[in-house]
Amino acid sequence: MVRRVRGLSDRAIAWIFVTPTILLLLAINIYPLVWTVYLSFTNYRANRPNREIEWVGTRNYERILSDEGVWENLQRTAHFVTFTMLFQVLLGFGLALLLHKRFKGHGLWTTLILLPMMLSPAVVGMYWKYLFDPQIGIFNYLINGIWDFGTFSMTSEVALAPWAIIIVDTWMWTPYIMLLCLAGLRSVPDYLYEAAEIDRASTWRKFWNITLPMVLPFLMLAVMFRAIENFKMFDLVFELTSGGPGNTTRLASIDLKELAFDRWQTGRSSALAIILFVTVFGAMNVFVKLMNRVKAR
Amino acid sequence: MADIRIDRVTKRFGDVTAVNALDLAIKDGEFVVLLGPTGSGKTTTLRLVAGLEKPDEGRIVIDGTDVTKAQPAERDVSFVFQQYSLYPHYTVYQNLAFPLKSPLLKWSKPEIDARVHEVAGMLHIEHKLKNKATELSGGEMQRVAIGRALVRRPAVYLMDEPLSSLDAKLRAELRVELKRISVELGATILYVTHDNVEAMTMADRIGVLNHGRLEQIATPRDIYQQPDTIYVAQRLSSPPLNLVDPSLFGIEAPAGTSTVGVRPEDITIGQPSGVEGSTTLVERLGAETVAVLQVNGTQIQALVDPQATIGEGETVRVGVAENAPMFFDRDGRRIDAPRAGG
Repeated sequence: MVRRVRGLSDRAIAWIFVTPTILLLLAINIYPLVWTVYLSFTNYRANRPNREIEWVGTRNYERILSDEGVWENLQRTAHFVTFTMLFQVLLGFGLALLLHKRFKGHGLWTTLILLPMMLSPAVVGMYWKYLFDPQIGIFNYLINGIWDFGTFSMTSEVALAPWAIIIVDTWMWTPYIMLLCLAGLRSVPDYLYEAAEIDRASTWRKFWNITLPMVLPFLMLAVMFRAIENFKMFDLVFELTSGGPGNTTRLASIDLKELAFDRWQTGRSSALAIILFVTVFGAMNVFVKLMNRVKAR
Repeated sequence: MADIRIDRVTKRFGDVTAVNALDLAIKDGEFVVLLGPTGSGKTTTLRLVAGLEKPDEGRIVIDGTDVTKAQPAERDVSFVFQQYSLYPHYTVYQNLAFPLKSPLLKWSKPEIDARVHEVAGMLHIEHKLKNKATELSGGEMQRVAIGRALVRRPAVYLMDEPLSSLDAKLRAELRVELKRISVELGATILYVTHDNVEAMTMADRIGVLNHGRLEQIATPRDIYQQPDTIYVAQRLSSPPLNLVDPSLFGIEAPAGTSTVGVRPEDITIGQPSGVEGSTTLVERLGAETVAVLQVNGTQIQALVDPQATIGEGETVRVGVAENAPMFFDRDGRRIDAPRAGG
C-alpha cells in the first residue's frame, strides 16, 4: 500500500493538486489572452456591451501600425527602458561591489538601500511629484545648491520630464539589481580570488576575469525582469506625470490604458496590447537565448 | 629557487591557535612534506608562507627577504589548492597561461605558448588544452591546477593536498611525476598531506605537525625508524602502531618506560619465545595480510606473511622482533633505547 492512499493513485493525487492552478491559470490568463486576440479583430466597445460585435479583420492592426503616435510612444518606451536599465545596472552593480566588502554596519546600509523597492510604485510616484515640485520640492533645492540652474520643473518641462521618470524608476529599482548582483558576488568562491592573488593578477584583471563573468548571469536575469516590468511601466509614471507634459512621458501602457478606458476603443486597444505582448515576448526570447549562451560559457 | 625560514610563527583564529610558535627551515631545492591530521595546522602553515594569511607573531623569510607582511603577489610563490581552483569560464590553455600574463612578467605570446605546451605535455593534458575547465574530470582538473603552479618558475612551490581528491591509480602516477619534476627543476617545495605514503615516497624531509606544533622533522627513513614521540610513531605506522604495557611481552624496558610501541610488521607469530594469544580477525589485502590478535586481553595488530595459512580463532604464539620495540616515557617521548647496529 505504498502507492495508494484510500484507493487514489499517485497520478490522481497529482492531478488533484495541479487542477486548481490550471483552472485559475485558464480563467485569468489564458482565456483573457485568447479573448483579447479575438477582440483585436473586432470593433467591440466595452462601454456599449449591447451593440453588435462586427468582425473587422486586420483593420485595427493596420491603423495602429500606421499611426505615427504609436511609434512615438514605442520610441519613448524604448528610451525609458534603455536608460533605466543602463543607470540601474551601473549603480546597482557599483553598490553591490561596495556592500560586498564587509564593513561595519553594512547590514544596516543594505536594509536602508532596499527600502525604496518595498514601497508601492503609485506611492513613489506621488511622493516624487512633491520632491520635484519647483516651489517646495527638495530636489530643485539640492540641485540648485550644487549649480544654480534657476527655476525649473522636472515634471512639466518637455526636455526634463523623460529624465524625471528615469530618475524615479532608477531610485526605486536600483536596489533590486543590487540585491541580485550581491547574490552573484557571494557565489564567487574565495579560492578563485586567492588563486588569482597567487598568480599575481592585477585588480582590474581579477574584476574582468573572475568577478564579472561570475556575476553576469545574475545581472542578466535582473535586467530581464526589470526590462519586462519597465516595458509595461504604468503606475509610477501615471502618478508622477500622467504622461505629460504633452505626450513626452506617455509610455506604451499609458497609451493603451487611455485607448481602452478613456476612449473605450476596446477592439483597437486589444490589437495594441497584442502588438506589445508579441514585442516583449520576442525581445525576451532573444535575451534568454543570449543569457543561456553566457551561462554556458 | 630559494630557501624558506619560518621563525616562531603563531597564528590564531579566535580562540583556536592553528599554528603555535612554529620553527621550520627549508633548504633551497628541498622537498619538505608537512604531515598531520585535519586541524593540525598544516594548511594554515602553507597559507602563511603564501601570504594568504598573516601571522600573529613570528617571521617568515623567503630567499633571505623578510616577507612576513608582504602580499602573496610580492612573494613569488605558486600554490596548488586542495579544491581544483580553476577559473571556470576559461579553457585549460587559458588557465595555464593565466599566471604568465601577470603584469609582473613581461612574456611574449610565443614564449607563453611554448611554456603552456611544455607543462601540458609534462602532465599529459595536451589533448585537453582547448577544453573548458568545467568539462574536465577531477583528475584532469587537478593536473591543470598543478600545471598552473608549474608554468611559472616561482621561488617556492606550495602544495595543499593536491592528490587527495584523485583516484588511487592517478595518485600513484602523479606522486612519481611530482617527485620527478621536483628533482628536474631543483624546486623548493613545501607540500602538505595527511597521507603517509605520499610523505614517505616524495619527501626529502618530513615534518610531523600536532596541534600547530612541529613534533619532529627528519628524513623519511629517520622519522620512521627514530620517531621522537608516540605521536610521530603513530602517524607513520599503517596498520596502526601497537601500544602495549612493557610487561605484556616480557620485554626488558629501560627505566622510566611507561608504554612500549611495536609496529605491526615487527610482531612475530609462531616463534617459540612468544606469549600465547589468539587470532580474532584475518584481513587479506593481497600484498599483505593483517592479523588482529588478542594477547592477555590486549588487542594487537600484526602484518603477517600473505602465504601463511593463519586462520581466525586459532591459538598462536605472539612475539616481538629483536630490537624492534620503541620505549616511551609518561609524556609520550621516546627513551633512547640501545639498538643493535643502531
